[in-house]
Amino acid sequence: MSWWNRVWNLLRREDLGRELDEELQFHIDARVRDNLKAGMTEETAQRDARRRFGNRTLAKEKTQEMNIIVAIQTVGQDLRYALRSLRKSPGFTALAVLAMALGIGANTAVFTVVNGVLLRPLPLVQPERLFLISYHPRLGPGVIAGRPGLSNHDYLEFQRRTRAFERVTAFVQDQVTMTGAGDAVRLPAARVTSSFFPALGVSPAMGRTFAAPEEERGSPRVVVLSEGLWRSRFAADPNILGNSITVDGIKRRVIGVMPAGFAFPGEAQLWLPLAVGPDASRNSFFPSAFGRLWPSVTQRQAQAELEALAPQLPWQHLMAAAGAPARTGWVVEVLPLQDLFVGQIRKSLLIFMGAVAFVLLIASANVANLLLMKGSLRRQEMAVRTALGAARSRLIRQLLTESAMLSLGGAVAGLLLAILGVRALLALAPAGIIPRIAEINLDARVIGFALGLGAVTGILFGLLPAVQATGRELRTFLGQAGHAVTGRGEGLRCVLVVSEIALTLVLLTGAGLLLKSFLRLRAVDPGFRAENVLTMTVDLPDSLYNTTVSIQAFHARTLEKLSNLPGVLAAGAVNFLPFNGVMWGFFHLYDGRPTPSGYMVDKPAVSSEYFRVMGIPLLSGRAFSDQDNSTAPRVAIISQSVARTFWPGGDALGQRITLEDHPKSGNEDWLTIVGVVDNVRQRSLTEKVHPAIYQPYAQVKKPLFLSSMTFAIRTAAQPASMATAMRGVLREVDRNQPAQSITTMTDLVAKTTAEPQFQTRLIAIFSMLALLLAAIGVYGVLACAVAERTREIGIRMALGAEKSDITRMILRSSLLLVTVGVALGVVGALAVTRVLARFLFEVKPTDLPTFLVVAALLVAVALLAGLLPARRATRVDPMVALRWD
Amino acid sequence: MRKHSNDRLQGTLDMLVLKALASQGRMHGYAITLRIEQISASVLRLEEGSLYPALHRMTQSGWLRAEWGASENNRRARYYSITPSGRKQLAEEEQNWAQLTEAVTRVLRFV
Repeated sequence: MSWWNRVWNLLRREDLGRELDEELQFHIDARVRDNLKAGMTEETAQRDARRRFGNRTLAKEKTQEMNIIVAIQTVGQDLRYALRSLRKSPGFTALAVLAMALGIGANTAVFTVVNGVLLRPLPLVQPERLFLISYHPRLGPGVIAGRPGLSNHDYLEFQRRTRAFERVTAFVQDQVTMTGAGDAVRLPAARVTSSFFPALGVSPAMGRTFAAPEEERGSPRVVVLSEGLWRSRFAADPNILGNSITVDGIKRRVIGVMPAGFAFPGEAQLWLPLAVGPDASRNSFFPSAFGRLWPSVTQRQAQAELEALAPQLPWQHLMAAAGAPARTGWVVEVLPLQDLFVGQIRKSLLIFMGAVAFVLLIASANVANLLLMKGSLRRQEMAVRTALGAARSRLIRQLLTESAMLSLGGAVAGLLLAILGVRALLALAPAGIIPRIAEINLDARVIGFALGLGAVTGILFGLLPAVQATGRELRTFLGQAGHAVTGRGEGLRCVLVVSEIALTLVLLTGAGLLLKSFLRLRAVDPGFRAENVLTMTVDLPDSLYNTTVSIQAFHARTLEKLSNLPGVLAAGAVNFLPFNGVMWGFFHLYDGRPTPSGYMVDKPAVSSEYFRVMGIPLLSGRAFSDQDNSTAPRVAIISQSVARTFWPGGDALGQRITLEDHPKSGNEDWLTIVGVVDNVRQRSLTEKVHPAIYQPYAQVKKPLFLSSMTFAIRTAAQPASMATAMRGVLREVDRNQPAQSITTMTDLVAKTTAEPQFQTRLIAIFSMLALLLAAIGVYGVLACAVAERTREIGIRMALGAEKSDITRMILRSSLLLVTVGVALGVVGALAVTRVLARFLFEVKPTDLPTFLVVAALLVAVALLAGLLPARRATRVDPMVALRWD
Repeated sequence: MRKHSNDRLQGTLDMLVLKALASQGRMHGYAITLRIEQISASVLRLEEGSLYPALHRMTQSGWLRAEWGASENNRRARYYSITPSGRKQLAEEEQNWAQLTEAVTRVLRFV
């Protein structure tokens, strides 16, 4: 009986008690029957049986006690024995525990993140009733793509008509600058409607949250602080309410402080009121929207309601009326609120989970191998004990206890490693990649996970070696008086090492593919020179700037002041900065040729210096100048892609085009092409080059295209150092207009490569870990084989074998192992790397060069790992080897 | 494994049980009682109930194997049989016993 069986027995004591009763009753009944047969009366027979049996209760209790005592003794004995055995070989124990700790530690670290990000519910009241409401074109303008949300028009309409949601609210995540309380500081913030806090079900710890009128423009400016900000920046001032703080240059009265720990959405530190109206600026043009469902309503019902309302929602009709092409495929979704933050990272995390599971498997195989080797060294002991009558089950139980202790030790060490690992992981992650960072920490679930992994792997890698070490051929082993024999143990060890190599190959291939993809991504030329460019986006409210003239005057003043700043080489402006937004549409050619259906171009409006600031090369013709003003003939500059498509002969200059959907017949709507510039990636590095037609912003007439403008300066020194000066210019021009954002161009570009970079780094680390473990595995098997074959090697050398022959012999076995492993691994990798497809850029999951390089790397490492044992083999002294035993 | 050398009486009971099972094969507790009565010619009389803690202890120690079976008159009864390590234990006990009795005899002869 194994000891866990015994422990189990203890747990089902009641059953055992009933069985014992039955056993004792049988004894008494049998005695009564014999007594009756001997001629006693029924009564005497009963009495005699009871007298002979003695105190039945006592017998029962003593028996049960006996079971418990023996159980405890055996468990204790097994544990003592295991400990003693592990202490006897500290090198082995340390190696095994280290391998398990690495495997379990990596898994626990990733699980800790998964737990915090994906598994833990949001720290809100009944988060399971909170759902995002999303309705947008499948391939929308860049400003809204890839994020659940809803246009301002649709939000207002849906809010009015929904029956499924108890409350609907909207918010926009933002970054703001706070000044006046210590150093100026950039803080994550959120602009929220007045229904935001009630929908979440949170009340402020002090003061109040927003009232509906405060959403409106021109109302008194207010702000709600997080408890953390209140504590760190305002020394937890109990009289803070009613005081003013400066946010993005605007004084706002503090009306409330939220309770500790509340930082939704993201890591928001302060909340500003958001106005969602039909005339909203870009800020609230496409907010995130969510609502709290009525208790009896399911997600499915809410989804059905949104789908039913969707055709009546106004935005699509407004867009169509404004001449926008009708787009097919609108996305109608009701999603758990959590998806807003974890949508992007979920797939990555699951892939990390898969990768570390591989590492754990490899570590387990390594420990199993160590145990097998140890087992083969202990065969003598096992054989002797078997001969002396020890049951095989007892020996297996003891070996299993040993491996269970190893993996438990590994689990505890792994847990400690995981604590460091999580920190390293978060440090490696570019800012903003991992959501809900505050919730990533050790909890009962994580500890349970680590210990559970320990238990499972302990049995997994312990069972095979235990069965092996106590195998039936032990008796024959004893007969050979301890001569070294190679038996099934070696075969099994080879199988394990081959699997290790195969698993490592899969991981390495994944890492190789990601790395190649990342390098390709990094090598992509965005079409502009991002270094030393600082950008500032300003959204002008249409309440104050409602004419083209007033807007253009603002821009001209700002540009002039910016270009006069010391350290600024050039200053330009664009309404849709690359990597920061896009406006696209159709255009027509003057010569009446049709543009291919679906052919759309980006339509940036730029200042004359824009191309110089951004370092976009002018390929032919001229750049815009200040003479291209509203009264001059209208001009355009096209990207090379447009030029190649329509004027492959290179005669684009002087041609006429229009960007209007319904151009008037006169000259008014027609633009003359004066220049061709290089292609620019407008959205991200991964997208295909998109054709673009540039106009001078002074010739753009609709305020809608001008009210949001990004100013860009090329600086002589560190661009970030110019941020304050840039903000100062804005204040001089109009002290009431805050910057939406101030970012260097390199940061904007880096943001788009942050996730692949993180993935690549992490998978590379995991696969290096796997490679190390596999190398140790190969080394271990060969070293053990050499030790076991010392005699054979001695004989070979005595018979005249050269050292090089011996080396070759050992390396050949190493090569055989790695070849079989690589072959299996390639098959596995072909099957598995497909999951990476959506993360790969211009690399196929079956990329041959990657496979070749990875296989070559593995072979090299395996040969290197085999070199040490091979050298040891050549140092075998034939005389010593032959005299063994 | 538990040492019983200084617990002669218990050791004796163990030995008797093991001996009975070694010679007779599979038996239930009552049959073991009858067998011990028989071989000791009723000299060793013990409370029959005290047999059971011993049977269970020896089962847990791996000397005996226990399983449920049908009795002669078709009732469910727990049957015991001796295991290889039980036989080993028996041999040890017999040897100890022989040494002890020999020693006692020798002492008695020289006193």
